[in-house]
Amino acid sequence: MREKKRERYDVVIIGGGAAGLTAAIYCGRARLNTLLIEKGLVGGLATYTNEIENFPGFPEGTTGLGLMEKFHAQAKKFGVKFKGTDVKEVNFENEWKEVHTFRNIFESRAVIIASGGRPRTTGAINEKDYLFDKGISFCATCDAAANEGKTVMIIGSGDAAIEEGMFLTKFASEVIISVIHDEGKMDCNEIAKEQAINNPKMSFAWNTMVNSFKGDGHLDTVELKNLKTGELKDYKVDTCFEFIGYIPNTEIFKDKVKLNRQGYVPTNELMETGVPGIFAAGDVRDKELKQVATAVGDGAISGVGAEKYIADCDVFEQQIMQADKPGFIYVYSAIDDPSRVLLPMMSEIEKSYGGKVKLSVIDLYKGRRLCDRLACDVEPMTIFYTLNGELAATEIDCDRPHIEERLNKLLAKG
Amino acid sequence: MSKEVELDCLGEACPVPLIKAEKALEGMDVGDVLICQIDHSCAMKNVPEWAREQGHNVEVEEVDDGEWEVIIEKVK
Repeated sequence: MREKKRERYDVVIIGGGAAGLTAAIYCGRARLNTLLIEKGLVGGLATYTNEIENFPGFPEGTTGLGLMEKFHAQAKKFGVKFKGTDVKEVNFENEWKEVHTFRNIFESRAVIIASGGRPRTTGAINEKDYLFDKGISFCATCDAAANEGKTVMIIGSGDAAIEEGMFLTKFASEVIISVIHDEGKMDCNEIAKEQAINNPKMSFAWNTMVNSFKGDGHLDTVELKNLKTGELKDYKVDTCFEFIGYIPNTEIFKDKVKLNRQGYVPTNELMETGVPGIFAAGDVRDKELKQVATAVGDGAISGVGAEKYIADCDVFEQQIMQADKPGFIYVYSAIDDPSRVLLPMMSEIEKSYGGKVKLSVIDLYKGRRLCDRLACDVEPMTIFYTLNGELAATEIDCDRPHIEERLNKLLAKG
Repeated sequence: MSKEVELDCLGEACPVPLIKAEKALEGMDVGDVLICQIDHSCAMKNVPEWAREQGHNVEVEEVDDGEWEVIIEKVK
């Protein structure tokens, strides 16, 4: 096997859909050396949608591909580098995270996971020929309006299938639902089930699965197979909606970040995954609404988060954990008077040593991130002492004589 | 020792780059890398799609505006 070439970046973004591209725009604009890796077409799942009518700023609508090309161009303008390949493996254990492709190992301080997901499909005959804009849809929000007065079919009976089906009845004249179970049994909640059964526009094909899809260029017929009788029956429809689940693209992140039961990445509202420096954004995240508009928000937050994380890394390494001289790091909070009034005294102490010791200060009010790197649950009026770039002691005694005694000891050792 | 082969498909439209790439890869060994230089956007789509479907490792790199390298590592 040939050796993989190593390259270093500030941020690596995995996935070039709406979330990844937005994160790239923010990182690029913050002058971070940014790499985006996309295995397929830049633009992601949105490029499969012919019409995007609900992305703000486009009153006359836009195509998914057209919109994503604009995202792409904007990221390029800010100097983001693109690689069109698969990520094979990641390693998030060290300070420099690794992202492996078949030719390279990319190292970066921050990684943004924006790998998205893919709708589960039925695997029926000819399904591939009609996916997305050719008659098989996975998004009622996207395609309902185009089915005004038409007949549509829904595959699935879970909450998503029935809720989206109810939404579709506002547009379509007939909604046929293919349910794999016996008559009356559905996977959705009871309230949704009752509403669906009582909806005059909805009808049900019980004990059925899709056998094949047919149509000349665009889908016009779904052939269902009755699982009990084996009977095949054609249904004329304009669009078939499949709601049989969504699969997040997180196979390579298993055991690297926390995943929920369905395989999505849970994050807090800052898009942090719990592993320092690793963020997640877009459809791959455990969240409610999967749309370009929400992916953009996630991407922006994660991009800014990555930038702040890297800035913290620099401050931490170059100032706080400097190895030139013994250091003391005073933790205060801008909104905590007793801790704030000690600041001038700390400066005086540093001065009195004539450049032999180095003072750093951390304002907890600005954020806990820097402190969290040193210890957990730090309160204002804590002092960290360092020697040769390593933590030597953590104390809460802020009396001047005590601090001086500590510093004298460190100087004697150094 | 695995080798790298460059394949000049510049100025050539579909399906020529794909056919050339198929031919070139046939004569190569597992682990070898084929670098197809292309400047037709249609080949930028169908060459990587074909190679991925065959199970090879693929990387697409935009080397210049409207000019790409499709890098294929033969895996079987």
